[in-house]
Amino acid sequence: MGLIEQLGADKVRSMNLREPVVVPRDATVRDAILAMREGDLGCAIVVDDAHKPVGMFTEGQLREELPFSPDMVNRPVARYMADRFPWVNEDDAVEVVLDAMRVNNTRFVCVVDADGKLVGLTGQKGLMEYIAETFPRQVMVQRVGGTPYPEDREGA
Amino acid sequence: MADSNQNSGGVPDPNFEDPLSQYDPPEYSDPLEQSLVEEKVGVLQTQPYESVPPDATIREAVEKLIRIHHACLLVEEDGKLVGMFTDRDFLNRVALEYEELADQPVSSVMVKDPVYVYETEDAAATLSVMAVSGFRHVPVLNLEDKLVGIVTPRRVTQFLHEHASPE
Repeated sequence: MGLIEQLGADKVRSMNLREPVVVPRDATVRDAILAMREGDLGCAIVVDDAHKPVGMFTEGQLREELPFSPDMVNRPVARYMADRFPWVNEDDAVEVVLDAMRVNNTRFVCVVDADGKLVGLTGQKGLMEYIAETFPRQVMVQRVGGTPYPEDREGA
Repeated sequence: MADSNQNSGGVPDPNFEDPLSQYDPPEYSDPLEQSLVEEKVGVLQTQPYESVPPDATIREAVEKLIRIHHACLLVEEDGKLVGMFTDRDFLNRVALEYEELADQPVSSVMVKDPVYVYETEDAAATLSVMAVSGFRHVPVLNLEDKLVGIVTPRRVTQFLHEHASPE
């Protein structure tokens, strides 16, 4: 099966989904920043009491707003979150993730179950990992100031 | 000069064995795979790129990111890549201390050892580097180690979309 066909056949649930950083509606921007740092993620998902996503707050939004309004860190994140954000169902095809990222011009995509509850996060990194599995090889990772070293990708 | 697989009379040598006769060319399941493996990183679109010098202030770097609506600036000195400043660095090292840090040089908070690829590498290798390293922005250097571009998430998404949905 080719990569194009695979993108249309594989389900989102087969991807290596990330554990989302979740904050409640009444969390402050500071709470969200600390949670994103702790989770090593560039976005926080605001969920309601039923664990359904109601908003997304990203590092890009933070960078756009904070220089003009340093006090925002003490205000509710719900004031700054995007209430329109990309999401896919875990049973959607992987190609739906690609469409969601392109249409919304974002790197992050929420994954929900049949009840609309948040079950994971994917996006640019998840898609790169998925595609890289198609091309198993020894990857030369080169860093400025460092010695190039190879890392093996495992996969099909 | 006589062709090596012909004798001096110009008649093909019956004992000549084509060294490529046992070569099996790679087979690809679809044009996307073929393009990723056979084309160089430039097929992903690597230009333009935006950069600042290492002595630019954090305020200048952030204001530039806002102005150009990008998530990453390369830090460049004399044409050489010396670092990278991204939204993630802003989140992790600057956001809660912005007023105190804004006039410090961007070099104090940038990633000093960004992962890069050479422009001679193929597109699939570049995507694999992104997957392995976790860096979403990957600078591109030429063989003289000069900075010539960057692969960004948006450009990769656009490339994949164009090839996965050719209609």
